[in-house]
Amino acid sequence: MALLRFESDLDPILSLQKELERFLRNPAVSLGVSGYGAFPPINVLEDAEGMVVVVELPGLSPSEVNVSSKGRTLGLSGECKPPDGDQGSYHRHERRFGVFSRSIQIPEDLDLEKAEAKCEAGLLTIRVPKAERAKPRQITVQAEKEENTP
Amino acid sequence: MTPQELVTREKQEVAGQEKTRPGRYFQPDVDICEYDDYLKLWAEMPGVKDKDLKVTLEDDVLTIEGLVDIETYKNLSPVYTEYNVGNYFRQFTLGESIDESGIRAVMRNGVLELTLPKTAKAKLRRIGVQAG
Repeated sequence: MALLRFESDLDPILSLQKELERFLRNPAVSLGVSGYGAFPPINVLEDAEGMVVVVELPGLSPSEVNVSSKGRTLGLSGECKPPDGDQGSYHRHERRFGVFSRSIQIPEDLDLEKAEAKCEAGLLTIRVPKAERAKPRQITVQAEKEENTP
Repeated sequence: MTPQELVTREKQEVAGQEKTRPGRYFQPDVDICEYDDYLKLWAEMPGVKDKDLKVTLEDDVLTIEGLVDIETYKNLSPVYTEYNVGNYFRQFTLGESIDESGIRAVMRNGVLELTLPKTAKAKLRRIGVQAG
């Protein structure tokens, strides 16, 4: 699988979009996510260290997002609230407000206990590292003891 | 009343004009609300930091452009995706006369909040109609 290395400084976004699009239209990949079309939309990515879940939640501050874990399930919930003081008349009303809740099944080789979440610029990022036992380990090859040394 | 449960809508790509920068542009969802002395506009642009946002007003055309920060995705490969990422672009022709110097823009958690004050002339133009 191609890693998004962003070879060219000029169009890193192009390669990212192509790569995401390839997966968007692929029904074969499934992580047991609770229903396509659910809010908020999520992207799941990985690297050697583990898995990263990226969620678009515009307007929500870190304190308004609730991230929880139970067994192998990662849960997200919260509420998108409209701005206070609605005294004007709306010309356009495209943003939607309401509650959301969804969950993601995390593969067994990840350590959900060590997951870290941050929320910045309306983007929630949850990193779930690989479990210690799932990480590649170097096995030392022991040399045979030389018995005839004085 | 319990709040409504949200569903996801697919992002709308900007059609027609091609940009000089490569990559896709999406239309941010906006709310525009009019008050007595000003207009307020909110645009949802998750992933855009304030330094990568450009708001201009020229000949009554308000342009909003936000470049998304893709640093988050660096060196990662997708496993499962539900949305694409891209820059944001949208233009509006303002009907009300806006006092350009008084425009204020605040970027908060991926949502741009614009306050567009009306000019004194535009405020005066409104004539109260009394019930007969």
